Amino acid sequence: MNANALPRLAAVLGIAVFAILPTAGVPAFYESFFYIVFFWVSLSTSWALLSGFAGYFSLGHAAFFGVGMYTTATLTTQFQVPFLATVPAAAAIAALLGIGIGAVVFRLKRLRGELFALLTLAVTFVIATIILNTPIDGGAGVFMSAVPMPDIMPTQTGTIYVLGFAMCVLTLAIAWKVAHSRLGMGLYAIHDDEDVAEAKGVPTFRYKMAAFALSAGIAGAVGGIHAMYVGFLTVGGTFELTVPLYVVLMSVLGGSRHWLGPMIGATVITTLLYAFISGGEAMIGRAIVGLILIVAILWLPDGVVPAVQQWLRRRKAAEVEPVAVVVPVVPAAARPVGDRNILEVRSVTKRFGGLQALDGVDLDVREGEILGLVGPNGSGKTTLINVISGHFPLTGGTIAVDGVEIGRLPAHEVAGRGVARTYQIPRPFVNMTVLDNVALAATFGGPTRPAAEIRDEALHWIAFTGLAGKEDSLPAELNLHERKFLELARALAARPKLLLLDEVLSGLNPAEVDNAIRLVRAIRAQGATIVFVEHLMRAVVELSDRIAVLNEGKLFALGAPREVMRDPRVISIYLGKAYAA
Amino acid sequence: MVDRMGTWRRRHVLAGVVGATAALAAPSILRAAPSGKPVRVGGTLSLTGFLAQTAQIHKIAAEIMVEEINGRNGFLGRPVEYVLLDDQSKPDVARSLYEKLITVDKVDLIQGPYATAPILAAMGVAQRYGKVIIQSSMGIPKLQTYEMAFPATPFGPNPEQTYPNVILDAMASLPTPPKTIVILTSKFPSAQFMAQGMRTQSEKRGVKVLLYLEYESGNRDFGAIAARVKEANADFLWVGSLGLESNQVLEALRKLDYTPKNHFHLYPAPGPLALSPDGKNALCSTFLEPAEPFMSRPGVARQAAAYKERATKANLPYAIIDAQAAGMISEWQILEAGVNGAKSLDDKAIAAFLKKNTVDTIYGTLRFDGPYNHGNAEQLIKQAQGGQWKVVWPTKYAAPGVKLIGS
Repeated sequence: MNANALPRLAAVLGIAVFAILPTAGVPAFYESFFYIVFFWVSLSTSWALLSGFAGYFSLGHAAFFGVGMYTTATLTTQFQVPFLATVPAAAAIAALLGIGIGAVVFRLKRLRGELFALLTLAVTFVIATIILNTPIDGGAGVFMSAVPMPDIMPTQTGTIYVLGFAMCVLTLAIAWKVAHSRLGMGLYAIHDDEDVAEAKGVPTFRYKMAAFALSAGIAGAVGGIHAMYVGFLTVGGTFELTVPLYVVLMSVLGGSRHWLGPMIGATVITTLLYAFISGGEAMIGRAIVGLILIVAILWLPDGVVPAVQQWLRRRKAAEVEPVAVVVPVVPAAARPVGDRNILEVRSVTKRFGGLQALDGVDLDVREGEILGLVGPNGSGKTTLINVISGHFPLTGGTIAVDGVEIGRLPAHEVAGRGVARTYQIPRPFVNMTVLDNVALAATFGGPTRPAAEIRDEALHWIAFTGLAGKEDSLPAELNLHERKFLELARALAARPKLLLLDEVLSGLNPAEVDNAIRLVRAIRAQGATIVFVEHLMRAVVELSDRIAVLNEGKLFALGAPREVMRDPRVISIYLGKAYAA
Repeated sequence: MVDRMGTWRRRHVLAGVVGATAALAAPSILRAAPSGKPVRVGGTLSLTGFLAQTAQIHKIAAEIMVEEINGRNGFLGRPVEYVLLDDQSKPDVARSLYEKLITVDKVDLIQGPYATAPILAAMGVAQRYGKVIIQSSMGIPKLQTYEMAFPATPFGPNPEQTYPNVILDAMASLPTPPKTIVILTSKFPSAQFMAQGMRTQSEKRGVKVLLYLEYESGNRDFGAIAARVKEANADFLWVGSLGLESNQVLEALRKLDYTPKNHFHLYPAPGPLALSPDGKNALCSTFLEPAEPFMSRPGVARQAAAYKERATKANLPYAIIDAQAAGMISEWQILEAGVNGAKSLDDKAIAAFLKKNTVDTIYGTLRFDGPYNHGNAEQLIKQAQGGQWKVVWPTKYAAPGVKLIGS
């Protein structure tokens, strides 16, 4: 039996055992208790799809859950729609609400972090107010005792149990599928650094919308079922703050970035809450539960599942030697520069309010060429890299890559057209291993390939950049030199037509600089076209076919390295007399 | 000396006779105390969560009653054990715990929880398992659709019709009866339910409703609402409030230099409103107060004293027996009467007895043969006079010398 077979067998057995529980004659309380566990598992897992995976911390989960509850309540009591038919409707309406909110807030970069959390909380209050002040509830509450329950199981409790269980299995299946898909990989990247994710080709807006719709839709369906369980809905009871607080607590305890984490957290917390239900120990019980949670979160800040994974990884690392992929030595001999322009920049301007960062820049870069981009601080070098890579929208002008206009495309589409970049200060996805960092770039930046091929490609570039043996390391475990090379490996894994290197040598010691220069030559030897921003003139002269000098947002000089270096105007504004001497 | 010796002997003989009599009587006394396997009565209360403060009142009242019942004969000669669980103020938890009480703990009988939503959740479970459920705090009787659910508080089947008329009758007795009314209510279901009834009945009786306003339950800022109340300047302000909302409304009105002419409050926290200067002459709903004629009902003085002692020990802010505690006492009195009347712990037999008979409770004699198993409506009006609540209407329930004070 292989390593994967055992968990699968356990999962199948678990599902089978829980599925037949209502026919096993166990007391109804256990069906009810497990239903409550399933309910919280589904709700906290659905929260994690957006807030844990993508990092958009929501405090508004009660809104989607509540919309689901009231959809079912309204359709069953006012329109006599059969209960089961209302559950998909509850999911659809909650998902539409999520999409509607996402369509507005995901377009605004400033609505991340705590602002997003507050906004979702505000949405909860708005929805609650609407429901409270319309005939949906009106303040009187909705009593559902007359709504017939379908006879799926011999008892009502059994039927609710089965519906809750099915919802829970479906939710976990969706979470597993997302976590192991392109969508999941993209969401994890968004969680760590949304701008970089976009630059690496992740369609961040679309992915966030998908996650929000899934998260809200599942919460809506869970709410639809729960309406029948509760039987009497009030706005105060439905949209209370304990719903988002519980789902956050459960997800954080189990590990909100892992598909299984919320399930562990929800099961532990629900069981603890039921462990102290006796009237004599109610208050003490609550205090004990709170204490256990505080201790657990202090000791396991990332959650139970990541802690177990980390422990397993450490054990594995101690037992198994890392497998380094041997990469053939790349000939350092440069390929000849072609005649075709890979990059054509025409009259590019970029303004930030009153600041003219780029002012009519014209620049061509030929296939296979290394173009050094230099200039004083504030001259517009990094801004040019940012507009070419799509990070900043253009104010004016055009940019074409391999003959295709990209100047108005979002960053992920620019990446998809073969433009890759690195960052002056490395910006790896901090919660992803070196292998996953590079695999993500290969997945979203390069052509569509099977997962195994992407993994091989990632391993190739990891070895190429000298990071073999660090595949399972987190970026925090790398030194600056290695993080810079990780930036390179990510960029190369996208198989770019144009590689934009932003001060890749800054902060390195002389030996590391020599190493990096060799690496850039090796990259170029494979046919890459490179624009690199650099202040280290030795490297610029050694590597560049041509040098472009920017000053005050304008192209100041362009030509062969030696010519540009001797240009008195360049010496005056940038290099200084000491270098000229 | 002889005389003294004779006295000594007589005393010792008398003591011996008394001692022997007591010793002989002891077995019969012991036989009267409940014995055997306890009758387990299960229930939940919201001991934690947002309803916890009120549930503590119910818990103390229940403990007093269990001791009192066990001090008599228990249930059918067996001691009563109250299996109390914490529903955390959540109806879904209440539902699962009643399932636990019935299917796992296998209690003999159940008692209802506190507040409408947990009661309705528990009522569904009781219905599925054919258990009698008695509750004291569901303010919307028409939701009690289960035939073996019984109210312990005499709201009557249609309090939204009957109680507004009690209030309007009281107002009509004033030298200058109000001709206009402002109705202000929380959107809490039971308060809103009564407010709508108040509006309907006022209009029927020719009292003009100048303003009908609803606010969200939990609202704290009554400034804008107070401005509209002041502007309307009605003869009578009716507030469908809960907890401290009435104090907040009156404070907001005071800040606008406005004192309502007559004002009624539905379910306020009793202590803060009575003790506040703003609460002077405030009217309020009640079923019982620790005064005559209620204290003359059998056992009430003892229960009130026991409640005061325990509530003080538990640091409750208002340690005087009122309708909340009385509701739980009434629940146990009804259950005890049902068991004794049916001479059985069988739920159907108990329900059948209750439907056909009356029960003497702390609220007086209750019957359960009307719609939704309700009997007569017995909602009263009390007024804050000198920092104390005094029942003022109907006048037959007012203590000697206590009168309704108008504006």
